[in-house]
Amino acid sequence: MTRRCLIIDQSPMVRRVAARIIRDLGFTVDEARTANEALELCENHPTNVVMLDWKTPDMDGAAFIAGLRTIAQKTGTPMPTVLFCTAERSVEQIVAALKAGANEYIMKPFDSDIIESKFALAGLLDGDPAACAVL
Amino acid sequence: MRGALTLKPTYYEALRRLTLQLAGVRMGSDHAFLVETRLSSLARTEGFDSLDSMVEELFAVGQARLAIQVVSALVERDTHFNRDPASFDALFDVALRDLAEKRGGGRIDLLSYGCGSGQDVYSVAMRARAPGGRDALGATTLHITGVDYPSQALERARVGRYTHFEVQRGLSARDMVSHFTPDPAPGSTDWVAADHLRENISFQDMHLMSGSEQMDPYHVVMFRGSLDHYSKSARIRVIRSLTKVLRPYGYLILGSNETLNDMSYGLESIAGAPGLYRKPEPEIEPILPEGKQPNGRTSFDGAQGRTSATG
Repeated sequence: MTRRCLIIDQSPMVRRVAARIIRDLGFTVDEARTANEALELCENHPTNVVMLDWKTPDMDGAAFIAGLRTIAQKTGTPMPTVLFCTAERSVEQIVAALKAGANEYIMKPFDSDIIESKFALAGLLDGDPAACAVL
Repeated sequence: MRGALTLKPTYYEALRRLTLQLAGVRMGSDHAFLVETRLSSLARTEGFDSLDSMVEELFAVGQARLAIQVVSALVERDTHFNRDPASFDALFDVALRDLAEKRGGGRIDLLSYGCGSGQDVYSVAMRARAPGGRDALGATTLHITGVDYPSQALERARVGRYTHFEVQRGLSARDMVSHFTPDPAPGSTDWVAADHLRENISFQDMHLMSGSEQMDPYHVVMFRGSLDHYSKSARIRVIRSLTKVLRPYGYLILGSNETLNDMSYGLESIAGAPGLYRKPEPEIEPILPEGKQPNGRTSFDGAQGRTSATG
């Protein structure tokens, strides 16, 4: 079964570019514009990976991860792998994201190399020798 | 793509020959686009108004410094941090652990040959500071030297400076914030290696095909992922000179998918550790006295008397 990745970003451009790259890595991709929209999707569809901007219009990244935890407990499904993809590049912000439970952190702008590399670091490309060879 | 290129095909051919001669690296005939991109940026920083005028001057004047810069721009590799983790496993779990146990303390010297922009060097340094790496190294301290042709990439390696893109390739966010800091210069999006990471690391520029003769001996020589780019004769020369640089019982580490299958170079491969080779300890032959034979004397008493008598 192909794994599902949910991209959350206000910008349709960012979502489109990221979706294309992540599809190439073998994932089914869903998109959401806001965090609430995303949480609703996660509640109804099992999601393996979430890639989101720290600053969505309705909540910050830490609140979103807390929301994901609640859903995982309620539905008894495993917690998705969380990658932030955001323009904020301060050490404090990155540390805060990792403390909140993020598996990886991508600073915008990104390219396909970075996404692939961060997915591999988050352990999402295991069992795919072609992808591992890149690292 | 060809329509977009400006470099004359004869120049391209000449550049291919130059790269093979100077660096032993064989460029494909389909690398024209890459060549153009890399050399255009060099031409700009060197103050030429176009790529053609730089290449024209290169072949007309035959300036050695420019030739080396052009070649090093051409052979520069795209590198990731923590590239080929299986070979780093072999380096730490087999080679360094073994050397540390044998030595029990002191320093272990590692050479990164063809280090480019230094990602391999810093990746090893980060791993040496992680729990698994510290355990393998025991009481020994790892010193790393990166060598490559003089280039802008090497200068950036020296200061540990990486672009926004480079610092996100192969490097986890956790390692990035632990070992690098954002460049404070206004407008810069670079990240710079922290002082603690740069401890016991140095970089030297040298001509890889001819400079290794004067090098100090090393316990480990790391030469990963480049074997394929070299012509067969250059490969033999490089591996031969690297074996000379290795101390007895030292390790040569190639990429985990690379082998020395054509020749052994006097090295032995290590079972279960792909790409890892060890230089055997020299056999110590008993030194037989020539002419003079033991005279049965068991003390130097007599000899001492003679010394004081003459002094």
